Amino acid sequence: MFAQTYGATTLGINGALVTVEVDIANGLPGLDIVGLPDTAVKESRERVRAAIKNTGFEFPVRRITVNLAPADMKKDGSGLDLPIAIGILAASGQISPADCSRHALIGELSLEGKLRGIAGILPMAFSVAETGRTAVFVAPDNAQEALFGGLTVYAPETLREVVLHLRGEAVLPPVEKAPTAAAATAEDDLAEIQGQPVAKRALEIAAAGGHNMLMVGPPGSGKTMLARRLPSILPRLSEQEAVEVTKIYSIAGLLKANTGLVAVRPFRSPHHTVSDAGMIGGGRLPKPGEITLSHHGVLFLDELPEFPRQVLEVLRQPMEDGEVTISRVNASLSYPAKFMMIAAMNPCPCGFYGDPSQQCTCSPGDLRRYMKRISGPLLERIGHTRKSLVYGKVG
Amino acid sequence: MQKDSAGQRGEQAAADYLQAAGYALLARNYRARTGEIDIIAEKGGTVVFVEVKARHSDAYGSPAEAVTYRKQGKILNTALCYLKQTGRTAAPLRFDVIEIYLGAGVNPRVNHIANAFGRR
Repeated sequence: MFAQTYGATTLGINGALVTVEVDIANGLPGLDIVGLPDTAVKESRERVRAAIKNTGFEFPVRRITVNLAPADMKKDGSGLDLPIAIGILAASGQISPADCSRHALIGELSLEGKLRGIAGILPMAFSVAETGRTAVFVAPDNAQEALFGGLTVYAPETLREVVLHLRGEAVLPPVEKAPTAAAATAEDDLAEIQGQPVAKRALEIAAAGGHNMLMVGPPGSGKTMLARRLPSILPRLSEQEAVEVTKIYSIAGLLKANTGLVAVRPFRSPHHTVSDAGMIGGGRLPKPGEITLSHHGVLFLDELPEFPRQVLEVLRQPMEDGEVTISRVNASLSYPAKFMMIAAMNPCPCGFYGDPSQQCTCSPGDLRRYMKRISGPLLERIGHTRKSLVYGKVG
Repeated sequence: MQKDSAGQRGEQAAADYLQAAGYALLARNYRARTGEIDIIAEKGGTVVFVEVKARHSDAYGSPAEAVTYRKQGKILNTALCYLKQTGRTAAPLRFDVIEIYLGAGVNPRVNHIANAFGRR
C-alpha cells in the first residue's frame, strides 16, 4: 500500500518542497527512512511512532519504507515528522490517500501527538505556494508566519485534528491574519543624544547613503551609544526587504512565535571573540552568520582592532558583493549580506591619544602596531572615517 | 535434560496461553543454525514469533529485559529461515515476548508483550 504527502525543508535561505512517499509491505516489521535524511529527520522515526500510538491510531506492524524526494537533496530539521506520520496513516488505510496529497504538512510531533513549531516556516511556505499548492498545515506557533506565503493556513494543535480534518470529520477553520502590532520602532533614538553634533552629522550621512563608517575616539566618548541609535534614523524596511529579513530570521530560528514581518532593521553587534564561521556563516550544512543576520541592517563591530584579523579579512568579499557564498562538501550556499558596517575603536592601546583631557601613555611603536591590526583593504572599504569624536563632556 | 526446568514449564504455560487466546501453534522450539524460536504461532493470517522468558522472581530484572539486542537479532534471522523453509515469505509478521512469572502458586502469571521488537 502506498501513499504520498508533501512536506518542506530549507536550503540556504530558500525553502524546498519535499515529496514524502510511504510504502507499507509485508516483511520484518520496521520503519526505514531513505532520501538523504539528516539526524533530526532520522530521529523522527521514534517521534512518529509514539505520536501515532498515543493519538489512538494504529502504527502498522509491517515493513514501512519512507522515501523523501528529491533524493539528492539533504533534508534538514524536524518539520518532516507530520508528513511522514500522515503518510503512514494514509498508506495503512486510516486516511484516504487521495485526501492528503493536496496540501503541504510542516511540523514537528511531540511523543504525545502535539504539533510543535519549527524554524524556517516562511521560506518553506513560499516554496509550497510556488509549486501550486494552496493550503498548508503548520503548528499554531508558526501560523502567522506561514500566512505570508499567501496560502490557506490550518493550525491544528494535534495530529488527531489533522487526521479528522483530512477525513472530513471535523473541519478546521483557516487561520486569520492577526492584527499586526503597531509598527515597532527602534528602542534607542538618536534624538536622545545631547551635543555630539559632528558625530550625529556623520551618522546621518552614513544612514542616508548606506555608507560604512568607522568611529575613532577615546573610551567614554559615546561611540557605542551613538552606533546603537543608528537604526532609529535609517529608512524603513520596504515590503520586499522585510520579507528577505524575515526569511533569514525564520531560518535562524530567531523569530518569535506569531509576530508579523520583521519591521525594524536588524542591528547585530557580535562580540570580538566571534569566529570567522560565526561571522560569515558556516557549518557542515552552512548556516547564516552575523553578516547575513545584519542583511538590510547594521553590523556593529565594537573594539575593531580586538577582532581576529582572519575574521575581519573574510568581511572584504561580502562587503563588495552584498552576498556571501559558503562552500562545504555537502552544499554550496549563497546568503545575502547587504549590510552597513559601523565600527568603533580607540585611537591607541591606552585609548587617550589626542585627548586633551588625559595624557596618552603609548609609544609611537605601540601606535603603529595598533593601527596595523586593521588592514588597508578593509579601511578602504569603510572609506568614511570620522577621525576622533568630540572630546570631553558634552552638555 | 532436566524435564522440570523453569524454561520448559514457562514455554508450556505460554503455549497454553496462546491457544486459549485463539492462536494456532505452527512450531515449538524451531531451530536453525542462526538460533532457536520458542513458539511460532498464527492468528488472523499474521505469523507471530514468540520468545518465552520465565523467571521465579524479578530479583534479577524482569524476564523481558533478558531478551537482549543480540537475542533479538538471532530471533529475526531464525524467523527468516523459517519463512523461507515454509514458503510464507509474503505473510505479515510480528515478534512477541511472553513473560512467565512462575512464583509460588500453581498457575504462573503470563504477560504477553505483542510486537515487542522488529527489524533494525
